[in-house]
Amino acid sequence: MPRKKLGNMNRRTFIKTSGVIGLGVAASNFGVPKLLRAAPPTIKIGSVQPATGPLAVIGVGQRRGNQLAVDYINAMGGIKSMDGAKLELLLGDSESKPEIGRSEADRLIKAGAAVMTGPFQSGVALAISTLCEQRQVPFIMDVAALDKITDKGYKYTYRVFITVSGLLNGAIKYLKMVTEQKGVMPKRAVVTNTADAFGKGMSGGFVKFLEKSGLPIEVVDKVQYPLGIHDLSAEVARIKAAKPDILFPVSRPGDGIILTRELYKQRVELMGIFGPGSPGWYEPDVIKALDKLIYYVMVNVPWINPSSQVYQQANAAFQKAHNRYLDTNSAYAYTGVLVIADILERATSTDPEKILAATRQTNFTNHPVVGGPVQFDQKGNNTGAQTALIQVQPDQDLLKRVKIVAPQEFVQSDKIVFPAPQLWKR
Amino acid sequence: MDATFTIQLIIQGVLLGGIYGLIAMGLSLIFGVMGVINFAHGQMMVMAMYVSYWIFVLLGIDPYLSLIVVVAVIFVLGYFIQATVVNRIIDYPEAMQVLPLVSIGLILENLALLFWGPDHRSPQTILSLQSIWIGPIMIDVSRLVAFVLAIFITSLIFLFLKKTNIGKCIRAASDNRMGAILVGIDVNRIYNASFGLGAATTAAAGVLLLPLMPISPHMGHDFTLTAFIVVILGGMGNLLGALVGGLILGIAELVSTLFLPATLKQVVSFSILIIIMLFRPQGLFGGKK
Repeated sequence: MPRKKLGNMNRRTFIKTSGVIGLGVAASNFGVPKLLRAAPPTIKIGSVQPATGPLAVIGVGQRRGNQLAVDYINAMGGIKSMDGAKLELLLGDSESKPEIGRSEADRLIKAGAAVMTGPFQSGVALAISTLCEQRQVPFIMDVAALDKITDKGYKYTYRVFITVSGLLNGAIKYLKMVTEQKGVMPKRAVVTNTADAFGKGMSGGFVKFLEKSGLPIEVVDKVQYPLGIHDLSAEVARIKAAKPDILFPVSRPGDGIILTRELYKQRVELMGIFGPGSPGWYEPDVIKALDKLIYYVMVNVPWINPSSQVYQQANAAFQKAHNRYLDTNSAYAYTGVLVIADILERATSTDPEKILAATRQTNFTNHPVVGGPVQFDQKGNNTGAQTALIQVQPDQDLLKRVKIVAPQEFVQSDKIVFPAPQLWKR
Repeated sequence: MDATFTIQLIIQGVLLGGIYGLIAMGLSLIFGVMGVINFAHGQMMVMAMYVSYWIFVLLGIDPYLSLIVVVAVIFVLGYFIQATVVNRIIDYPEAMQVLPLVSIGLILENLALLFWGPDHRSPQTILSLQSIWIGPIMIDVSRLVAFVLAIFITSLIFLFLKKTNIGKCIRAASDNRMGAILVGIDVNRIYNASFGLGAATTAAAGVLLLPLMPISPHMGHDFTLTAFIVVILGGMGNLLGALVGGLILGIAELVSTLFLPATLKQVVSFSILIIIMLFRPQGLFGGKK
């Protein structure tokens, strides 16, 4: 019996099967002939992002930003100093968890990643930075804000994004600017935040920075609520009872909407809403849902530079591929890979030491975000990283309602509205 | 503490409590009739919210007007789930009934994710921003409408169960299944209708909540939990209990803001749950149906 079966296999089935296998092999070689591919070796960049889990929307956007830049560099002829070597993006998924992020990074390094990027979350960044130090692989972070990551004195870790203290300094700077320019000073403030790590850290930091700033603004109440809350009526009643002049919210996309509508309904009188640095106020669906109510909200945030040619070109490609605009996070992911390509161009090699030497010499100006040239200080932080102050202002086109009002060289609207008309008088 | 602030919180608590009651009523009804705990309850409510949202965005029909349509759609969904899944597991041990219903919840949640994505959707309806002022006290109109309709729907269900033939059949099947079968009631169909009715009630609650909060696919779970606490508080299977339980929970959650940070709201709800379990495990209105 077995012989007969084997015999059958050798005749007809073998011919069919080998045909299928043959076709498969041929197909896999069709697109990229082996010999050609081998000519300039590809350089692998490992990108670990939170592609699934609670931050999936952002993580997928980050991957797309990374990939867009890789495609752009390859289309422009790859890394010229290395015979036009092409870049290849290796994808890792942190599932929004540090320990998974670390093992994914390890996998990508084993698969040959010469440089690592990512990972959006500071917790994941801490885990990967330690790993990269052990494995001696340069880690050029596109987004991650916690100061602690670069405070450890690691040799292989660099960041293109801004630090939390940079973010907070920006918030205070712009708050001073607005109050001076407009000649009005709020006296009483309420700080609100979501009860996740970022929300707590950010609002705690902001309160400290505000106390040190010398501004005569007193924080009269701090309101903290869980992430993903459905009802803020009690919290807003409490805010109203505290009689603030200004609100400093550290929020997430869902609660910005609930908070504002509730402020409207309960007629909470405010000079304005000023976000020290958090999402929840500039996403297209939030702008659309709140319409007039979100006008004049100001947020201090690392932002895109829509007037730059790099941004316009990248945004057009991004729109075409994914049918949504290149937002600030994806734009930083895009910038991260551009910076890596620039470093590789000058390193002329994938040797980690040469890459580090080139990284320290970085002076990269042609990027799509608000800020100066990307240069790294002793710790590995980008000295050119900067926040913008954005304000939502009336405009027929929904996507154009978010305007940069500072710093001066990036402004889209030179008119800051503060104090804002009360929500119910618009 | 500021008196205005306290009164404000109590009023909002009562209004929210009415809606909690309506959400829990469906769960209580399903448990009362079939002895099954519907772990997909919150997700069904979210489905209703999305359907209503869709009608609002695509056809421009206000959620209050599309209420009947949405309720009918979710009734059919509930009927279908009972007919295809729950009827088959109704005699299984309780622990084994949990998993299929949790799975249905997960399926609904991920369907919502597939169709509508993870973004927060929040339509601004006619009443979204309306409020009435009595001196310094604000009454949120969409909350008031939701409360009044919740009470109205609750009374309708009471009448339906007391007066109509199907209502009597439902009560018969719930009191004594074997007896109901013996007198010729098609118990399986009655079960289908009861599950449908339970789902429809929660759908109504979802539509009433739509002007009040942004929808996202993952919010269902929270409401299953809320409904569960309310039902245990009021007494499993007792409809009046669900309403009173809802009011108590609504007021407790909001008034706790006077003393506690909002992050501890859930501590309040769960403390109430534990106290009730310790001292009156059958719930406030437990023991009779």
